[in-house]
Amino acid sequence: MKCTVCRGPAVIDVRRHNAAFCPEHFTVHGRDQVGRAIHDHDMLRPDDRVLVAVSGGKDSLALWDLLAALGVEADGLHLRLGIGDYSDESTVAARAYATAHGRTMHEVDLAADWGFTVPEAAHATHRVPCSACGLSKRHLFNTYAVDHGYDVVATGHNLDDEAAVLLGNVLRWETEYLARQQPVLPAAPGFARKVKPLVRLGERELAAYCVIRRIDYQVEECPMAAGNRHLTYKDLLNGLEHRSPGTKAAFLHGFFERGQDRFAGDDAAGTLRRCAECGAPTPSEVCAFCRLRARAAERT
Amino acid sequence: MKVLLRNPRREIEVAGPITVTALLQRLDLIPEAVLVIAGDELVARDARLDDATTVEIRPVTSGGAPTR
Repeated sequence: MKCTVCRGPAVIDVRRHNAAFCPEHFTVHGRDQVGRAIHDHDMLRPDDRVLVAVSGGKDSLALWDLLAALGVEADGLHLRLGIGDYSDESTVAARAYATAHGRTMHEVDLAADWGFTVPEAAHATHRVPCSACGLSKRHLFNTYAVDHGYDVVATGHNLDDEAAVLLGNVLRWETEYLARQQPVLPAAPGFARKVKPLVRLGERELAAYCVIRRIDYQVEECPMAAGNRHLTYKDLLNGLEHRSPGTKAAFLHGFFERGQDRFAGDDAAGTLRRCAECGAPTPSEVCAFCRLRARAAERT
Repeated sequence: MKVLLRNPRREIEVAGPITVTALLQRLDLIPEAVLVIAGDELVARDARLDDATTVEIRPVTSGGAPTR
């Protein structure tokens, strides 16, 4: 297999582009795709202060690296989730990248700063751990950005993540979620802009990028995610992609280009007020994160 | 050859030489969901792996909390 660009030995193929790349030109491919996503969706402006959500996994570390390669000097924020060895190893990977590349990385520790861990919150609420984890991440990344003057939160959601979420939302016709599934969520009072610059790259490409760039990331899967519905959707989409390369990208980007605006009227965010506990915007008297924190405190 | 698999982490022996594509077929793995790494280097699907190679088959699917 030869590199589509230079005809040298290829190390990876990207079947949806009918292309293969050597390490050097695969790196260029990654930068091109992120640059195109940023441009096409008007994600970033020249003076933006950007905060990258850094888990220590392949996507967030690749994102931080790719943004820097494109001249976007972003700081990182890492959340310590309290999921045993998995969280400890993720923190090691995130810190190692930040140190090696001279980047500023802030940290928030759920247990030390907020009094609970993801497993404790899941136990207290009788809901799947991913629910408490996602809620905590959305709240804390946004709050940190707003409180510390960042204009934008950039997350490592990739083509596979977003296609799997889209499949789940379509299968259940979750029209409110479809209305909000966008590569950019604009800023609003109390909310930083949210951007997903990796929507044009699949997770195989992002893992390959890290291997080629010698970025050590947390390879092990989160022990709390095993068997969740999101993974099932990814498996199904990978099966389709294997038989028909390009299916995932056509599904997701076709939605962004021709489907998403049809659901705009279904975004029922309603009137927001300030959370009585923390001041974050919320449709309720107390925001979902503070309610989660209170329920976890009751059980500990 | 030694083949390292993950989730759960384990090691198996597979007779070489064998191409990456044939190795993945033998292990019933979808190429879209894994990388194949020999030593520290990525290897393409048509690469031939010999018996002395140590290979890692690294899953790439991560599935934590999806955003809506």
